Amino acid sequence: MADTADADTNAGGLVRVTVTRSVEGTRSEFLVARIRPMTVLDALLAVQREHDPALAFRFSCRVGMCGTCTVRVDGRSALACQTEIPADTDRIRVDPLAGLPVVRDLIVDTGPFWQAWASVRPYLVPGEDADVGMDAEPAVIAPDSAERRAIDPALDCIGCAACFSSCGIASAHRDFVGPAALNRAMVLVADSRDSATAERLEVVGAESGVDRCHYIYGCTAACPKGLDPARAIRRLRGRRFRGDR
Amino acid sequence: MATGEVWREPEVLDTDVAVVGSGGAGLMCVLHALTARPELDVTVVSKGAVGRSGCTRMVQGGYNAVLDPDDSVDLHLRDTVQGGKFLNDQSLARTLVDDAPRVINELETRVGCFFDRRPDGRIHQKAFAGQAFDRTVHRGDLTGIEIMGRLRDQMFRLGPRELEDVRALDLVHDAEGELAGLTALNVRTGDPLVLRARVVVVATGGSATMYRVAAPAREKTGDGVAMCWRAGLPMRDMEMLQFHPTGLLAGKSRMTGAVLEEGLRGAGAHLYNAAGERYMARYDAERMERSTRDVVARAGYLEIMAGRGTDEGGVLIDISHLGSGEVERCFPGMVARTRQIEQDLAIGPVQVSPTAHFHMGGVLIDADGRTDVDGLLVAGEDAGGTHGANRLGGNGVAESTVFGARAGDTAARLARQRRLRTPERTEVNASLARAYAPLTRSLGPWPFDLTRRLKELMWRSVGVVRDGASLEHAGKELDALADEIEHIAVPGPPQVNFAWQEALDLANQVTVARAMAHAAAWRTETRGAHARSDFPDTDARPRYLVQRAAGDGPTGAIESEVRDVEFSHLRPADLDGRPGS
Repeated sequence: MADTADADTNAGGLVRVTVTRSVEGTRSEFLVARIRPMTVLDALLAVQREHDPALAFRFSCRVGMCGTCTVRVDGRSALACQTEIPADTDRIRVDPLAGLPVVRDLIVDTGPFWQAWASVRPYLVPGEDADVGMDAEPAVIAPDSAERRAIDPALDCIGCAACFSSCGIASAHRDFVGPAALNRAMVLVADSRDSATAERLEVVGAESGVDRCHYIYGCTAACPKGLDPARAIRRLRGRRFRGDR
Repeated sequence: MATGEVWREPEVLDTDVAVVGSGGAGLMCVLHALTARPELDVTVVSKGAVGRSGCTRMVQGGYNAVLDPDDSVDLHLRDTVQGGKFLNDQSLARTLVDDAPRVINELETRVGCFFDRRPDGRIHQKAFAGQAFDRTVHRGDLTGIEIMGRLRDQMFRLGPRELEDVRALDLVHDAEGELAGLTALNVRTGDPLVLRARVVVVATGGSATMYRVAAPAREKTGDGVAMCWRAGLPMRDMEMLQFHPTGLLAGKSRMTGAVLEEGLRGAGAHLYNAAGERYMARYDAERMERSTRDVVARAGYLEIMAGRGTDEGGVLIDISHLGSGEVERCFPGMVARTRQIEQDLAIGPVQVSPTAHFHMGGVLIDADGRTDVDGLLVAGEDAGGTHGANRLGGNGVAESTVFGARAGDTAARLARQRRLRTPERTEVNASLARAYAPLTRSLGPWPFDLTRRLKELMWRSVGVVRDGASLEHAGKELDALADEIEHIAVPGPPQVNFAWQEALDLANQVTVARAMAHAAAWRTETRGAHARSDFPDTDARPRYLVQRAAGDGPTGAIESEVRDVEFSHLRPADLDGRPGS
């Protein structure tokens, strides 16, 4: 294999990729040819195909919909497939997400993230008397209703954990369910079709819930789908005190 | 190679229902099996992250279902069969249109999805190409995230066993030849696994990633179809590979091939060649850009081949005449996607190319997902017949959820009737020997170049427009590739080894590709997605090829028989005078 990592990084059309490895003794610096356009995912694929097939990272859809290729690029949690390497950038550093155990190289065990997510009962709980199933009529809810105005901007979460990783509280294991789970909780609490509000608010209001948030807005800044989990957290706090949806 | 030297003794896991794949078909299957019988032990086997792999997740435009009193399932059936150029298994197409509205009900009321509404609070439906009624249900232009996100959340309620990062390898049988379960490989640990199951449901999705320009998620390497092929199951319509007309061109970036959604053409986008002509006038003057995918993809391909494309080998889609604000409002996801590659859909034309998208062909099934093998069900893109020669936009997620749900119902019933069986040791060993072989060789090619070769070959020789000579060439090249795959060597270790995983993906892709090229050489006519430059006409009577493996190994012989399509609901004469027929 061509070992070019020691060559001059400023030579035309190369990007130096530094990757945190979890296996001792494995190389962590690579030079790959620049292409246009070029994402961090493209750079990782080039490393894997041309230098080290054992480099471990995850991806699936490469269009920002599966949420599986999340890494830290120069310290910022982001989707590798959605992060462009600008033309004037000739080096990047890629680390695994913060706050989650590393499986290998850039692959983390997302278990703790999903455990937190599951703790808010993240699925719709229809009312006892609600008609449910293949012969049940969908609810009639106007698109400009108050509940939809609260919920719609908070949908499209892809569970990528970028917010979890960039939250100083969640990623430091300080007993916080984290922004994504609370955003999901808000979506369901605001939904008139759901009947588990009381139970969910109990989780949300408990010690590991909304009160852990210090409003640093790391989550909102990191969300690749442009969601605002901090707003959801504020809303849940209000819901707890005022009793509105 | 002796067991124990290369792989550990496989862990044996017993389950009632093993579902291979965790996309729309797989998770709907789990939902239905556990709703019918909550006491069942259900196991999801997923090569990637559960609920976050595959293509249902990537659905942009939406879901075709008849909800409006002015629409009808008969009309939806006509659109589906007309779009499929009468090659469809009409009983499967009928099942699709009958069940789609009911699955929408279930997605809304049980699963928790909330699709976009009209001002009166009822579900909004938008226009999609090739349909006589605006019946496409959607959530913005990122419908798949809502469906798969909510379905994944249902798994927290239902609690199936989730084997994440576990690749299914082969179906295995007991001493009597009855289906006993499957072999699998834990991608993280590199260790093998045997699942004994009363019922196996195969729902892994298609194989369109085997083309140079391709839309699907990386997992879609024909694993399910290849697994069924090796088990001797009959397949149909394998030559029918749909190219989506508007895939992004982003140079060598992995983004190339990603789809710009169908709704753009539904909403009035125009297609131009490099000379600025709205070239669809030459191919379908009546429907223009709103013609079906096969026609629009072929038109784009022919423009590019005739030298009327852009320097980068594309054509141009333009919707900016609607106004940038309107485009941003209606298609935020698509606008973002183009801006990311230094173009902008909201303010001007964007370069696109046909992109390999969906495999209409697959395993023969009945309306309940049953196959020729007792205890084996197939659902979603792994099955063939529903879409015939061309799939309508919006019928894909409908298929995966409708037939996934039906397979779940069937699996719950079947699990009562079938007992657990013990797979034959020799079959398990043969499967594991095949899988671990690349790790045992010290000298040989890495898989990456071979994958590139496959993609280039399929794009050029089994692509948008085909001919006899190129298909014959493809057949030989694919046999050569199948041989070379037997020599791939990947450096260890077995844990999280993506070169090894790519070698296994490639073997499945080549297995499916051989059947595709063989069927494409047989079909000496042009129908739907299958265009032959040497046979441009369409035969009066639609027929299909049923193929199965007749020999072992990657270059084994293919056995086939020709069947007439049964017109159980619609005859071509019923659609005479219909636009586009």
